[in-house]
Amino acid sequence: MKLFLPLIISLALIVNINADDDKYMNAMKKNLEKLDSLSDLNSFLDAANNFERIALAEKDKWLPYYYASYVYVIASYIDTVKEKKDIYLDKVDQLINIADSLEPNQSEIYTLKGMSAQARMSIDPMNRWQKYGNEANSSFQMAMDLDTLNPRPEYLLGMGIYYTPQQFGGGPAAAKPYFESSIKKFNEFKPADDLMPHWGRNQVEDMLKRIGE
Amino acid sequence: MKIIFILVLLASPVISLSQTNISGKITDQNSAPLPGANIYLKDTYDGTSSSADGSFSFTTQETGDAVLIVSFIGYKQVERKIKLNGEKIYLEIKLEEDSKELGTVVISAGSFEASDENKAVILRPLDIVTTAGTSADIYGALETLPGTQQVGEADGLFVRGGSAYETKTIIDEMVVQNPFYSSVPDIPSRGRFSAFLFKGTIFSTGGYSAQYGQALSSALILKTQDLADETLTSISLMPLGFGGSHSQRWENSSLSSEIFFSNLDPFFKLQKQRVDWKIAPRGLEGSVNFRQKFSNSGMLKLFSSVNVGDLSLYMNNLDNPSVKDFYAQKSGNYYLNANYRGIINNDWTVFLGTSYSYDKDKIKIDSNRAGETEQLSQAKITITKDIIDGSYLTFGGEIQNTVYDNTFNELSKNLNEVLTAGYAEADIFFTNDFAGRAGVRAEYSKLLNKANIAPRISLAYRVGDYDQFNFAFGNFYQTPDKDFLMQTTGFAFEKATHYILNFQHIGNERTFRVEVYYKKYSDLAKGTVYTYPYFELPVMPFSSQGKGYSKGIDVFWRDRMTFTYTDYWISYSYLDTKREFSNYPTIAFPTFATPHTFSIVTKHWIPAITTSLGVTYTFATGRPYFNPNNPEFLGDKAKNYNNLSLSFSYLTNIFNSFTIIFFSVDNVPGFRNVFGYRYSTNGRYKEPVLPTALRSAIIGMFINIGQSNPY
Repeated sequence: MKLFLPLIISLALIVNINADDDKYMNAMKKNLEKLDSLSDLNSFLDAANNFERIALAEKDKWLPYYYASYVYVIASYIDTVKEKKDIYLDKVDQLINIADSLEPNQSEIYTLKGMSAQARMSIDPMNRWQKYGNEANSSFQMAMDLDTLNPRPEYLLGMGIYYTPQQFGGGPAAAKPYFESSIKKFNEFKPADDLMPHWGRNQVEDMLKRIGE
Repeated sequence: MKIIFILVLLASPVISLSQTNISGKITDQNSAPLPGANIYLKDTYDGTSSSADGSFSFTTQETGDAVLIVSFIGYKQVERKIKLNGEKIYLEIKLEEDSKELGTVVISAGSFEASDENKAVILRPLDIVTTAGTSADIYGALETLPGTQQVGEADGLFVRGGSAYETKTIIDEMVVQNPFYSSVPDIPSRGRFSAFLFKGTIFSTGGYSAQYGQALSSALILKTQDLADETLTSISLMPLGFGGSHSQRWENSSLSSEIFFSNLDPFFKLQKQRVDWKIAPRGLEGSVNFRQKFSNSGMLKLFSSVNVGDLSLYMNNLDNPSVKDFYAQKSGNYYLNANYRGIINNDWTVFLGTSYSYDKDKIKIDSNRAGETEQLSQAKITITKDIIDGSYLTFGGEIQNTVYDNTFNELSKNLNEVLTAGYAEADIFFTNDFAGRAGVRAEYSKLLNKANIAPRISLAYRVGDYDQFNFAFGNFYQTPDKDFLMQTTGFAFEKATHYILNFQHIGNERTFRVEVYYKKYSDLAKGTVYTYPYFELPVMPFSSQGKGYSKGIDVFWRDRMTFTYTDYWISYSYLDTKREFSNYPTIAFPTFATPHTFSIVTKHWIPAITTSLGVTYTFATGRPYFNPNNPEFLGDKAKNYNNLSLSFSYLTNIFNSFTIIFFSVDNVPGFRNVFGYRYSTNGRYKEPVLPTALRSAIIGMFINIGQSNPY
C-alpha cells in the first residue's frame, strides 16, 4: 500500500485538474451557446455577469474576460440611457486590459479594443470622431498585423467606413472591399478550439447582402 | 486498484452532496429594485443575476465559510460573509452608487465646463470653434454664455460687471500674461491660442478654486491636449493668410509644429473697412508642441510659440478734423509652458510647471515713440492626495516674477513684481448627493509689500438624478494694474467677495441653469493715469479707495434633443453694477457693462450635403459712454446692440484628402451698431466708436493631406 500512496495522490490531482478544465469548458460552452439568442438588455447583462464570474474564479484565463467585454460593448449600444453607455465602456476597458495582460499580442483582444473605441465614438460622433475614430482604426490595424487571417477586424473596419458619409471616403461602396476580404477569411478561418471567438460571419453576410441590393 | 479508484472519486468535488440555496433581493438606497446585478460566491462559478424585480436565487454545492459578492456597474461592490451548511439563506442587500460613476453631484457653482473627459459638461471643445460669429476664437465663443458682456471695441472678457483686467487666462495651471494679440485702441484683437490646443475648458464666472488667484471676476482655465492623435499633415488657406502643420506620433510621444503667415491686406481690400489702414495687420507665427508619456502614466508637456507682427493706420484727430494721427505698431511675443504631471504613488499626484513669456510692443504715434515690454516667469507645484470615495486634498504653491519696462520718447519706467502664493483645498463627497470644496489661498506681493488670505467655499447638493443646487462664497484678490503701480506706491490688493447660488439640470441632452450672484468690490485702485478720453474730468489722486458692487441673474438653456440634427443654446444675463475706480469721479454704471444681454446660438447639421449651418443672434442693451457735456458722469447710453451671424462648414474630400470649407458672415442684416462715442477736448465734436466693418465675411479651407476620412 505504501507504494501506491504517491500514485493515488497524483492520480487524484490529475482527475481534479481535468474536472476543473471540464467545468470551465462546459460553463463557457453553455454561455457561448446562449450568446446568439440574447435579446433584451437584461439578458445581455446576465450573460456578461456569467462570463465575469468565470473570469474572476479562473483568474488566469483571458477568454471569459474577452466575452464579458464583448457583451458589454453590445449592451452599450442597446441601453437607451445615454449617460450609461460610457459606463459600460469603462467596464469594457477595465476587463479588456486584464485580458490583454493575461494574453499579450492577441489579435482578438485588439479587435475588441477597436470595437470599444467605435462604440465610444458612436455615442457622440461629432465630438468624438477625432479621438476614438483614430483609436479604433489603430486597434483594428494592430489586430490585423497580429493575425492576418482574423476576419473580424476587417469586418469592423468596414462597418466604420460603411457609416462614414460618402463625402469623407465612406459609404457602402467604399466599405464593400473590406467585407469581401473579411468573408474570404471567414471561409478559411478555423477557430483554434470551441471557445475561441468565431462570431461575425452572419453579420458580414448581412452587410454584403444589404450592399448588393 | 478498486480501492484506489474509490479514493480518487471521494477526493473529487463532484461527490459532495450538501446544497445550499441563496436567495434575496438587490435594491438601491431608495429600495428600488436593481435588475442585472451580479451575485456570486467569491472564487467560484456559482452565482446569478438579479431579475427585473431585483430578486435572485441560486444553489451552491460549496460548504463552510464563503464570501458572497454583489457587484453592479455604477455601484459599489458589497461583500458578505456567509456560512454554507445546507440551510436556506435569504439576503436583502442595498447597493450604494459609486461616486466615480453616473449621477454624482458635481461642484459647479459659477463655472461652465467644456471637456471630453467629464461626462456632465455644458459645452464640448468643438462647440467652441463651430459657433457662428466667433471666428473660431475661444473668447468669442465664451461671449455667447451668460455672465459675459458684449464689448466690441476692446479685447478681453468682461464678466459680471468686471473689467477685462479682472479675467485671467490660465493654461495648464499657469497664468498667461498676454493671451491676446497686441491691439490698437478701439480695435479688439483675438485670442492668441487656438481652441484646438485644448482638451478642456473651464470658464468660471465666479467662485473658483483656491488654486487660482489674481483675478477678481473670472478665470478661464484651459487644459492642453495630451499626445497628438496621429501622424498628420494639414494646410489651411484663408484670404487672410495661410499655414501648415505637421504632427508626428510615436508610441509614447508626439511632436507637433505649426506655422502661419497672415496678411489682412487683400482681405481688407475686398471688404470695406472703417479703419484707414496704411499697413493692414500682418504677422508670422510658429509653435512647437511636445508630449512625452512615461511608463508610470506621468506626462511631460512642452509648448512654445513665437509671433511677430506689425500694422499702421491713420486715426481721426477730433481736435483738428483736417489732420490725421499716424499710428504704427510692431509687436513680438514669445511663450513657453513646460509641465509634468504624474503619480508619485497610489494616492499622490504631483504637478510641476514652469512658464515664461516675453511680450514687446513698439508704438509710434506721429513723432512720439512708446515701448512696452512685459516678462513673466513663474513656477508652480500642486500636490493632490486622494482620500476616499472621490474625495481629495490639493495643496501647493506658486511664484510669479513680472518685469515691466515702459518707455515714452526719452522717459522710461520699470517695475519688478514678485508674487508668491500658497494654497490648500479639500474636495469632499459627504454623500453621493452632497459635496463641498473648502480652500484657502494666501498671497504676498513684494511690490505692494502686503499679504492677503482668501478663504473660498463651494457646496453642491443634488436633489434628483439630474438636478442640483450649488452655492459658493469666496474672497478674491488681485494686484492693481501696472498702469497704477508705475505711478506711485502704497496701493493695496484689490478685493472682491463673491456670493453665488445656482440651480442646474444637466440631463439627457438638455441643460438648464439659473444662477444669482452678488459681488462686493473694495480697495480698487483709483487715480487718473490717462486723461484720454475723459478730458474734462478732474484729475483723481491715487488711492486704493475704489469700491463697487455687482449683482445679477444668469440663465442658460441648451437643448440637443428636441430637433433632429439641431443643437441650440440660449443665454440671458441681467446685470446691475456700479463702481468707483480708476479715474471715475463718482460711483457709476461702468462703460463695459449693460443691464440686459441675450444670445441664441443654433447649429444644424444637414447630412445630405455634409454641411453644418450655424446661426448666432446676440442682443445687448446700450452701454454708458462718457459725454463731457452731460453733467451726470456716464449719463449717456449708446443704442442697443444687435448682431446676427451665419456660418457654413462644408465637409468633403478633395484629391482624397479630408477637407473642410467654411464660410461665415458677421452682422448679416447690417445692423448699425455703435459702441459709444469719443469727444474732442472741448466737447464740441464727437465721433462714434464702430465695429471695424459693417459686415465681415470670411472664407477658408482646411485640408488634411492624404487622409480621406475624418478619422
